[in-house]
Amino acid sequence: MPAGGMHIAPTLPIAVRTLKTSEAAALLNVSPNTLRAWERRFGYPQPQRSPGKHRLYTHGEVAALRDALHEGLSISSAVSRAREALSADTNVLVGALHSFELERADGAMEAALALRSVERSVEEVLLPSLRELGVRHGYDSAPWAFAARWANDWLQRAQRLAPPPTRPASVLIGDATRDDLDPDSLDVRALELFCARAGARVLPLPVRGISGLPEVLGAFAPHAVVIAGGHVPDDDVARWAYGVRSAAGPLPIALFRRGARDDRVRTTGARILADSPGDAHREVMGMIEARQSRPAVAAPTPANTEIGMEAEDAPELRRRSVGL
Amino acid sequence: MNTHLRLVPVVAEPRPQKHFCGHCGTEPEGDVFGRVCESCGLGVLLSANADVAPGPDSPFMIVDGSLCVCAVSRVAEELLGTDETAAVNRHLSEFLVPADAEAAGADNLMDLVINAASDASEARVAVVRPPDEFGIRFRVQVGACGPPRAALLVLSDGWD
Repeated sequence: MPAGGMHIAPTLPIAVRTLKTSEAAALLNVSPNTLRAWERRFGYPQPQRSPGKHRLYTHGEVAALRDALHEGLSISSAVSRAREALSADTNVLVGALHSFELERADGAMEAALALRSVERSVEEVLLPSLRELGVRHGYDSAPWAFAARWANDWLQRAQRLAPPPTRPASVLIGDATRDDLDPDSLDVRALELFCARAGARVLPLPVRGISGLPEVLGAFAPHAVVIAGGHVPDDDVARWAYGVRSAAGPLPIALFRRGARDDRVRTTGARILADSPGDAHREVMGMIEARQSRPAVAAPTPANTEIGMEAEDAPELRRRSVGL
Repeated sequence: MNTHLRLVPVVAEPRPQKHFCGHCGTEPEGDVFGRVCESCGLGVLLSANADVAPGPDSPFMIVDGSLCVCAVSRVAEELLGTDETAAVNRHLSEFLVPADAEAAGADNLMDLVINAASDASEARVAVVRPPDEFGIRFRVQVGACGPPRAALLVLSDGWD
């Protein structure tokens, strides 16, 4: 199938089979305390958390460890073997995209999803595979373009299948990447997907588009702004940020994959998010929750505030915010 | 010639076996059902000839036939200044090298380990040292353990 052609999307199995601590311990024939001790010492199996903060183990991880224990001479070597078994998905995906086989690439992601959550499948299989292909072929090569288009398409399909928003959180993402072939573009798409799956409404907008911004933001009412990607120059980003501030008022702002800009962060109060989309989305949701749990204060007006800053600092900071 | 006479292999007396945890060296109480040590929860239960099997205070390592470290006991972690999670899958020579000037060759230790991991040879003794240390030597008894089959290296500083 040609790279840019229409591609029939297979069903994405969003629900991953998970086990409670007692169930995982029983499958491994160990006590729940032992399982928690392994998590501390070996970092494996790595549980997710249920809404009630209980550990939830992915069945695939536990099953891989159970099989490895039969052949292992130590827990460490069994964990190493189980991790290798799981990383086989990455090798399959790299191989599939390297040989331009889209169906096999979809199959590799389905296999990954059988063992992991969507978030972990993206972070542990899709993104590392694409990085490997980018380094191997170069980010200006045709094989990279082929792989990046497929990955963008996969992430968009996964986002369409995300559950509807369940929490009062709206994230405006200012896309400062070059295009879909920008190496940071996939991480930005992953961040959008993770925020959407966390129950937030997500609106990605290019930071070069100023016109009509107030109308869009009036309807969307964001709770936080993330400027993502490092391609668009600071001046353009600052103009866009000013437009957002004028339309939506003071908002917490964060930078994702915009490079090391500590000096600028100090002048604008923008927070640098972790490079990993998984960590970054948790930080964004934390920013929104912290803001929503803060007691209400007299709202500053857009004209005398900087995004995410106190009103009295605004004139000086606005002058310096070009360095966003 | 009596056609009913034929050579048969000598049937050796079965050697007493001992179970032990590959991390804490503790012998499990009662019958062994699971694969994981119930005492520390951090090691796999293995068995070896009773005269080779380590005790709870013994520093020992388990190495496979390709000379990759598979397990490092809790005491050996302290002795060698390493951590099992970091040592696993690394080559034995990163942790121990032969230190016996009388040995037939520099590969003597490696030969002993490969033999122990591949056949039921008797336990043998060698002298080793950490690769970057010249003032420290250990006596190492190399035997077999499993399953799966591997070499068991029990370290000591005794010279009896």
